Amino acid sequence: MQDAKGNSAISRPESDEVSWSGPGIAALASTALAACGGGAGGAPTAVIPGAAVTLNTSGYTQLSSVTDAQASRFLLQAQFSASDTEIAAVKAQGYAPWIQTQVATASGTLGWDWLNAQGYGDVNNSANYYDNSYPGDYMVWSQLMAAPDAARKRMALALSEIFVVSLVGLNFNWRSHAAAHYWDTLNSHAFGNYRDLLGAITLNVAMGYYLNVKGSRKADGRGTQPDENYAREVMQLFSVGLVLLNPDGSPQLDGSGNKIDTYGASDVSMLAQVFTGYDLDMSGNVNTVIAQTGGGTRTISSTDFARLPMLQVGNYHSTVDSTFLGITVPGTATPVEGLKLALDRLFNHQNTAPFISKQLIQRLVTSNPSPAYVARVAAVFANNGAGVRGSLAHVYAAILLDDEARGTAGLSDPQFGKLREPMLRLVQWGRTFGATSASGSWKMGDLSNAGTQLGQSPLRSPTVFNFFRPGYVPPATALGLGAVAPEFQLVNESSVGGYLNFLQSVIQNGLNSGDIKSAYANELALVTDSAALLKRISLLLCADQLSAANQTLIVNALNAMPFASNAQQLNRVYAAVLLVMASAEYLVQK
Amino acid sequence: MHLLQPDLHSRRAFLKRSGQLALSGTALPFALNLAAMGEAAAFNAPAGDYKALVCIFLYGGNDYGNTVVPYDNASYDLYSTIRGGGPARSAGGIALGQSALAPTLLGPLSAPLDSLSVSRQFALNPGMTALAGLFNSGQAAVQLNVGTLVKPLTRVQYNSADHVSYPRPPQLFSHNDQQSIWQSSSPEGSTIGWGGSMADLALSLNTAATFSCMSVTGNAVFLSGNQALQYQVSTGGAIKINAAVAGASVYGSSAVGAAMNSLLQQKRSHILENEYNKVSTRALAAEGVVTSALAAAPPTTVFATDSLAQQLKMVARLIKGRTVLGARRQVFLVSMGGFDLHDNLIRDHGPLLAKVSDAMTAFHAATVEMGIAKQVTAFTASDFGRTLASNGDGADHGWGSHHFVVGGAVKGQQFYGTAPPVSVADTKDAGGNYLPQNQWHVGQGRLLPSTSVDQYAATLAKWFGVSASEMAGVLPSIGNFGGTGYPVDLGFMA
Repeated sequence: MQDAKGNSAISRPESDEVSWSGPGIAALASTALAACGGGAGGAPTAVIPGAAVTLNTSGYTQLSSVTDAQASRFLLQAQFSASDTEIAAVKAQGYAPWIQTQVATASGTLGWDWLNAQGYGDVNNSANYYDNSYPGDYMVWSQLMAAPDAARKRMALALSEIFVVSLVGLNFNWRSHAAAHYWDTLNSHAFGNYRDLLGAITLNVAMGYYLNVKGSRKADGRGTQPDENYAREVMQLFSVGLVLLNPDGSPQLDGSGNKIDTYGASDVSMLAQVFTGYDLDMSGNVNTVIAQTGGGTRTISSTDFARLPMLQVGNYHSTVDSTFLGITVPGTATPVEGLKLALDRLFNHQNTAPFISKQLIQRLVTSNPSPAYVARVAAVFANNGAGVRGSLAHVYAAILLDDEARGTAGLSDPQFGKLREPMLRLVQWGRTFGATSASGSWKMGDLSNAGTQLGQSPLRSPTVFNFFRPGYVPPATALGLGAVAPEFQLVNESSVGGYLNFLQSVIQNGLNSGDIKSAYANELALVTDSAALLKRISLLLCADQLSAANQTLIVNALNAMPFASNAQQLNRVYAAVLLVMASAEYLVQK
Repeated sequence: MHLLQPDLHSRRAFLKRSGQLALSGTALPFALNLAAMGEAAAFNAPAGDYKALVCIFLYGGNDYGNTVVPYDNASYDLYSTIRGGGPARSAGGIALGQSALAPTLLGPLSAPLDSLSVSRQFALNPGMTALAGLFNSGQAAVQLNVGTLVKPLTRVQYNSADHVSYPRPPQLFSHNDQQSIWQSSSPEGSTIGWGGSMADLALSLNTAATFSCMSVTGNAVFLSGNQALQYQVSTGGAIKINAAVAGASVYGSSAVGAAMNSLLQQKRSHILENEYNKVSTRALAAEGVVTSALAAAPPTTVFATDSLAQQLKMVARLIKGRTVLGARRQVFLVSMGGFDLHDNLIRDHGPLLAKVSDAMTAFHAATVEMGIAKQVTAFTASDFGRTLASNGDGADHGWGSHHFVVGGAVKGQQFYGTAPPVSVADTKDAGGNYLPQNQWHVGQGRLLPSTSVDQYAATLAKWFGVSASEMAGVLPSIGNFGGTGYPVDLGFMA
C-alpha cells in the first residue's frame, strides 16, 4: 500500500491495536463520534487560549526599537517574518508589551481540527488517509504559513526540534492525526509550563509509538526487559542531557578535567520501569470495517485514540523499586505516582534549565550564546520572577529581550547569529509576501529532498536527534574552538543547489501548481525604483543586514532588467527576492 | 595515549587551521599538509593503481543477534531461549526460526571457534541470501564482535571504577556519540574522521583534492580530514545551481545570473557566511567535472530502487568516472537508517537487511563488471549492536556487533575476530569470577567487543595504502592495540 507520494505505508490491521485492550470497546453515542470523525460541520473547533503574563524587564537595556531595522530584527527572531504593520506595532509598543500580546493571543484552528475540516478524518475515503503521512505535512505547513499566532507557532516549532516526533517514524493508522495532536500539544504548552509539556508528551500517542512507551512492559521473568528507548531519550534529549552542566550551560569537570556523565546505563534501565504498562486509550473507539479489493476486510479504528493520553492497559506496570538519578520510585507506587516522581526529578534536575534554555537560544537567536546569556535565561527558567519554575513564556521573553539578542554587538561579531533553517526560509517567504493557498488545502508536501527541494520539512526529522545536533561542528572552518553551527549539518554541495533551484521556481510559480502563490502587490508598487524595492525586501527579509556593497550589486543587476510590462515587473521583483534569499548575509540571521 | 580525549582531533586541527579564511576546497595551505612534511612518502601506492574504500553506515545500531545468527543446535537453542523462540526451534518472540536460516547458512573455509574454543556455525538473516552467496564464494568476510574501544577490556575491567587504567569509550549507548566515535575516534563535535585522514595521506595522488572523499548521503564526520573534505553528491548526480552557472539567465536576465554567481562565491568576514559560501563555491566549481564523470553509461548491473542501492549505484558510476575526476585514492560514504529497532524487530529488520545484502551484492557485481573488483572494498559500520535480550518485540542499545567486508581483495569465506558465547547471564563461579560464557557481554547480551573499530579500520587503511608509521595519525588509539588477541592487521585483506 502506498500513499500519494509513492511512499510505502505499511499498515497493520486495526485488530492489532484493538484486540488486547483490557476494558473492551465502550459503546458510545454514535452521533457525537460521527461528528468528531466525520469531517466539516461537526463538533466545534477548539483553540489554544492566550494567557496574561507579567514580564520582568529589569536588567535589559534595549527594550524598544528606534529603527525599523531593529524592529524587524526582533520580529525575525520572535516569529517567522516581519511586516509593515508588525514593525509599526513593535515600535509603538516596545518589545515586552508586544511579547505579552503574543502570549495573550489565542491560536487559530488546531491542527487536528484542520485535518478533519479538510476531510482527512473520513475513514471511508478510498485514499485511505489513515495510512498516510501527507495530510500531516499539509497540516503543519498550513499552520506555519497561515496561523494567526505566529509567535506561539515559532516557539512550538523550536520545541518540535527538541521534543522530536517525526512523521518519518510513525507507522500506524491515523498517523497524521496523531502527529497533528502532537503538534497541537506542543502549541498548547509553548507558552505554558515545561513540566506540563513533559507530562503531556510522555503519555502522547504519537510519542508513544515513536519512542516505544506504548506497549512497553515490565520484565516477564523469562528474560524480557522493559523498552528503554523513551527512558534514554527523555534524559538525553528532552531534559538533562549527557553531562552535568553549570547554570551557564558549560559542562562541569571533575578533578582530572573530564566531563561528568549525568546518568549511566543503570539509570536508563531503572527509569524505563516507570514507563511500563501504558497503551492506547480505546475507550472512545468506534471501528469501521472496510472491504478490501480482492476480498477480505480491514478493521479501522476511529481517530479518537490518537489524541487521548495513553493509560495503563492490563497488568504490565513494573512493581520493582526503581532507583535513578538519586531517587527511588518504590515498587508500591501507583503508575501515576511513579510518573510524577520521575518527571519531577527530571524537571528539577540542575541541568534542565541550562540544557533547555541554551537550545532555545540556539533556535531563536544565535548558535553560540555567551555563557552569561545562557545563565540569564536559565535563571528565568528556574524562576520566572514569581517563584514559578519552567515558565516557557518567560523563557521566550528572556531570550528575546536579552541585550545579547537586541544589542548591536552581535551585528559586528563575526561569529554571532545562526544559519536560517531551510524550512524557516520558505515560511518567511510565504508570510512576508502574503502567499496564501487559494484552495485552502496547503498541499506543500514533504520537502525533504536536499537535491531538489529544501532538504528539511517540518515534523520530518530523520531521527529523534532532530535535523541537526546542537553540538554539530562543521569541518575545516574558522570557527573558534568549542563553537558550533548546528544548522550547517544540513549544508552540503547538494543542498545549497537544491535550495536555490527550488526557491527560484517557488518565487515565481509558487507551490502546488500555483495554488500557493504571492502576487507581490507591495513590491510591485516599488518596482520602478530598484533601490527602494531592494531596501524594502532587505528590511523585511533580513532586517536591513545587507551590506551597502551588496545592495549596490543587486540594484545594478535589477536596473539591467526592463520593467515596462507587468511580466517584466514581476521578473524584477522575483529577481530581487531571489538575490536577497541567496545572499549569505540573508542566510545567516544576525 | 590511553584516554580518548574528546577533542583530540579537533584541538590539533584547530591549532593548525586557526586564522585561515581561505575559500579553496581544502582546509590548509599546501605547506602545512602531511604530504609536504614528507609523511606521504610512506604511503603505499604503486604507480598507476586505483583503490577505493566504501563505508556503508547503518544508522541506529544494527542488531547483531539477528544478522549473523547462531545456527549450530547448541548455540541456536541458547539464542532461541533468550529471544523467546518457539518449540522445536521455531520462530517466536524476536527469535528467528532455525529452518528459515538454512538457506543463508555460511560455509566458511574453516569453522570459527568462539572464546570457549567451541566450533560454531552461523547463518545470515534470511533476507541476506545474496550476501551469503558472496560469502560462500569468497568475496565477503564477516568481522565478528567489533566495537568502539579505547584499549582492550575484560568484563571485570569494564565494571571497574578505575577509568584511568580501564578507560571506556565515552557515551557508550548514545547514538550520536557512538556514530561519531566509529567514524572519528571522538564523540559528537568531532571534526576529523579516519576516512578523511586516510584521504589526507593520499591527496597528492589525486588531481583534484575535492574528489578524494565523496558522500552520497548526509553530512558525517567520517570523510573529513585535515585537508580532505567530504564532497557530497546526490543519487541523481551533482546538483547544478541553475541561476549561478556561467551565462545563466535568471527570470530573463543574465545580469541577475552574474550577480548570483558573484554573491554565492563572495568571501565574507562573518565566519558562518563565509563557510556557507565556501560550500556554494565548491559546488559551482566541481559540478561540471562530476557531471562529466557521470556522463558515461552506468554499469549495466541492476540496482534496486531503494535509497542505499541508489547511493551505491552512484558510487559505482563515480568510480567508473574516476579518470575524469582524476582520482587514484578515494573514500566513499553511503548510509541507511532505521536500525534502531527497540520494537518491531522481526517486522522491520529483515527487509532492511535484505536491502543491505542486495545493494552490497549489486555494487560488488558492478565492480566486477568494471574490472576493478580487487580495487574496491566495501565495509559496513553501525553505531553499535543491540542487546541479545528482548524487550518484548525489540532490542535495546548494545555495543559490539558483527560486520561485513566485501570486495575482490577480501579474503572471503572466513570469519575474523572471535565469536562471543551466546549469553545474557551475569552468573559467577564460587571464586567470584564471571563464568567463561558470561565474559563477553556487559549485561543483557550487549557484546563486549573483542575487536576494536581501530583494528578494523587499520586493516582497511593498510590495504588502502596507509603505512605503519602513518597509522597513528589516522587512528590515534591504535597504539593501545597490537598485543595478543588484538592484532593491528585482522587479516581479512589480501
